[in-house]
Amino acid sequence: MSQTTVVTAAKEPSLWAGGRSPYNVSYGKMMIWFFLLSDALTFGAFLISYGTTRFFSAVWPDPNQVFKSFPFMGEHNLPLLFVSLMTFILIMSSVTMVLAVHAGHYNDKKNVAKWLLWTIVGGICFLACQAWEWTHLGSECIKAWSSNPSEISHSLWGSFTDMSIPADEFKHFFGDKSQAFVAANHDVALQSTHNFFNYFFTITGFHGGHVTSGVIFNILILVNTVNGVYERRGHYEMVEKIGLYWHFVDLVWVFVFTCFYLL
Amino acid sequence: MSAHTDSNNIQHLYEGDQSKLYSGVLAHHSDVDSTESKTQVKKIWKIFWILLAITLAEVVVGMYFSQHLPAAVKAIFFLGLTLLKAGYIVAVFMHLGDEFKNFMVTVLIPLVLFVWFIIAFLADGGFWLRMNSESPARHTIEHVAK
Repeated sequence: MSQTTVVTAAKEPSLWAGGRSPYNVSYGKMMIWFFLLSDALTFGAFLISYGTTRFFSAVWPDPNQVFKSFPFMGEHNLPLLFVSLMTFILIMSSVTMVLAVHAGHYNDKKNVAKWLLWTIVGGICFLACQAWEWTHLGSECIKAWSSNPSEISHSLWGSFTDMSIPADEFKHFFGDKSQAFVAANHDVALQSTHNFFNYFFTITGFHGGHVTSGVIFNILILVNTVNGVYERRGHYEMVEKIGLYWHFVDLVWVFVFTCFYLL
Repeated sequence: MSAHTDSNNIQHLYEGDQSKLYSGVLAHHSDVDSTESKTQVKKIWKIFWILLAITLAEVVVGMYFSQHLPAAVKAIFFLGLTLLKAGYIVAVFMHLGDEFKNFMVTVLIPLVLFVWFIIAFLADGGFWLRMNSESPARHTIEHVAK
């Protein structure tokens, strides 16, 4: 294999001699890569500002305390389990996507359609999980505010902005080691709780928006595949391009998972 | 309108499409049951198991051990495994490892900016924590406020 490459390279003057793409990729594929690069910088900026806020906060909610619930398991203490399931679903859908791309390389219409369908199922499962998690955390925040009925209209999505909220309403988000600090520094802990939930909903929301549009793109190319558009075109490069986007969304989740749930 | 559904016509619409030239779809890949195809599929599943194993390791450490680890060890452990996972996804699932080196370098070089970006901003965060908790100015303000 490597010998063939050497012979080919020797025959051609230079990749930069003109007449062909020195990158050996089509315009569309190169542009999706550059789009993903810019999107990576956006997500990077989000996650780094989360890190900055965390670094300048004297205390920070403990993910093992915030994310410890699992659907239908009530108040059992199950940290990380639900998000592990979400991670598994997304990795799995990445595999089905790459299998669709692989089938596309072989112009295998039936398998492209089959694997795309599984990818869509995976994406929808992930979104359903995220909807549950958002609802659950949203209701936790409402619970935290319900002692203050006059402010309940502002209670959604973790807006801990009212300094009169007693520490009892948010101290359960912090680990054992931080409890003494939270009790002594009410305002600092309240601000951290507010920041934590703001970043959580912003970043997972932005990621969830990407998953949603990914599912829509997948549905579109599934319809095109079934209708034989790519078969007539002679190649399945569109599946490859959407695949790149889908893998990128999975890639971002890998980092979100680390930053919010593990560290 | 009906002319647009004609296959020749659609082929004509994509005459300016370079994809065929560069994606190599015309050059190879005809038999999906070939050994080459099967090797690739096997590789995809192998990477899946690796990713799953790394995630499980992260979760187990996150659940049972991370409270007992020093913060720096924890950060290096989790970030190292995260970058490993990211590497596998980009190189194998996104096929960047199969592209020309020119293209790989073009895509990856801008990401080097993150090194500066992360160091600068986290250091800034740490600086503000110190300013807020230790700076003499803070005590002055509190004193005036009282």
